[in-house]
Amino acid sequence: MKGRRVEPASALRDLADPSPPETVVSCQALSKRYGEVVAVDEVTFSLDTGTVTGFLGPNGAGKTTTLRMLLGLAKATAGEALVFGRRYEELEQPIRRVGAVLESTDYHPSRSGRNHLRTLALAAELPLSRVEEVLELVGLGAAADRRVRTYSLGMRQRLGVAAALLGDPELLILDEPANGLDPAGVRWLRSFLQQLAADGRTVLVSSHLLAEVAQTVDHVVIIDHGRLLAQGRLDELTGNGQTLEDVYLELTAAAFS
Amino acid sequence: MTGLLRSELLKQRSTQTTLFLFLSMVGFVALAVALHVLALGATHLSTRSHQLEVFQVGTRAGMLFAGLVGAIAITAEVRYGTIRPTFLVTPRRGPVLAAKLVVSALVGIVFGLLAEGLMAGAATVAFSARGIPNQLTGGDYLQLLAGGAVAAALWAVVGVGVSALVRNQVGVLVGLCTWMFLVESLSSSFIPGAGRFMPGGLGLALAGNSTNLSAATAVLLLILYAAAASAGGWIATLRRDVA
Repeated sequence: MKGRRVEPASALRDLADPSPPETVVSCQALSKRYGEVVAVDEVTFSLDTGTVTGFLGPNGAGKTTTLRMLLGLAKATAGEALVFGRRYEELEQPIRRVGAVLESTDYHPSRSGRNHLRTLALAAELPLSRVEEVLELVGLGAAADRRVRTYSLGMRQRLGVAAALLGDPELLILDEPANGLDPAGVRWLRSFLQQLAADGRTVLVSSHLLAEVAQTVDHVVIIDHGRLLAQGRLDELTGNGQTLEDVYLELTAAAFS
Repeated sequence: MTGLLRSELLKQRSTQTTLFLFLSMVGFVALAVALHVLALGATHLSTRSHQLEVFQVGTRAGMLFAGLVGAIAITAEVRYGTIRPTFLVTPRRGPVLAAKLVVSALVGIVFGLLAEGLMAGAATVAFSARGIPNQLTGGDYLQLLAGGAVAAALWAVVGVGVSALVRNQVGVLVGLCTWMFLVESLSSSFIPGAGRFMPGGLGLALAGNSTNLSAATAVLLLILYAAAASAGGWIATLRRDVA
């Protein structure tokens, strides 16, 4: 068990390069309390432009809560979460800069996929032709007029990705996108993430599927019990022959045992 | 803001919910016409005020179903989670709520007009078929339509406001129905006259179905209810986290 230990604070300082690239996401001592429960506890991390970061942690670690604060859906109890240097609510036309895929169930079951996207495009003042483009991009063109209740989980997940891409954003945030996907869906998602990265977009993808994540990301942020355990480049964390799984299990076991 | 209004309109049109509510309202009014106009003895339908009172079912139906339209505009988004993408696209939540208020009020006007028109039309035909002299004037019909439409629009606003506060779909829908058909009439039987100051009673006065309050006072008080509900829903929507 005596592998490389990454101390959160020092790891952070080491990685804060003096000539930093543009910071896309920045969380500073971000905290969220629900009464007595501390869901997120002074989490600090940042993402540079063009990186693909795995946001890792066990179920209930605080990943989703962190992402919700980042996206303006939940208010931080303390600290701040910024995208492009501003709170999400302060962005002009946020979906032109940030695309998010949260839950694969966020659809009205009797609305068609096309109309779901149109309600969003209208609200964002995007041309409706953009809806057709993203439908083709995720391969849902033929199913676009079917009610979402007839969609498989994989199709719902792709509809979520289509919604996130409507505004052609620089930053994509995906919360457990691989959950419940079949092997074909996982493969699609993987190639999709790689395409996003190749486009030069910044990606933050939360997951607990470590093997899957290790194939796609170049950075990781690991949290558990609401606290940051590590953040850094994947190749540095797994430098001495350890797998991401080794590092992850070591960190999450050591932190609270 | 135009984009948000168009988005809300599409949300209304792109599920079967609005159509289902509309058809339910039509069925409800048809049943009420059958029960009241065909089954009641002619002596209970002889005077103008009797006849106006019978017509109140149309006003009530318009208000209730408009209220349900407004409520579902919020609670369906909460229930199905579409509130998340909605607020991701428009993180300033005030304009989203404003668009829902406007669109729900517009749909409410349509519901109110149709409920009153259907009720008045069917009842008028039934009166003449039974040989009961129609005591209503053209002004009465006009007030039914206009007052009923305004009352339904304001109920839609109340529905949006209340459901932004409560957010639970079943709770709000059951609550609105119970309020309309139970709470107002029950409280009136304990405290005589109390019902006329409640949202349903005010709508009846506005449409001319009851004369215990002037239409002007009724519309003013109903606007106050709508404003209070919207303000409550507004504050809750801006302050609360989205689950």
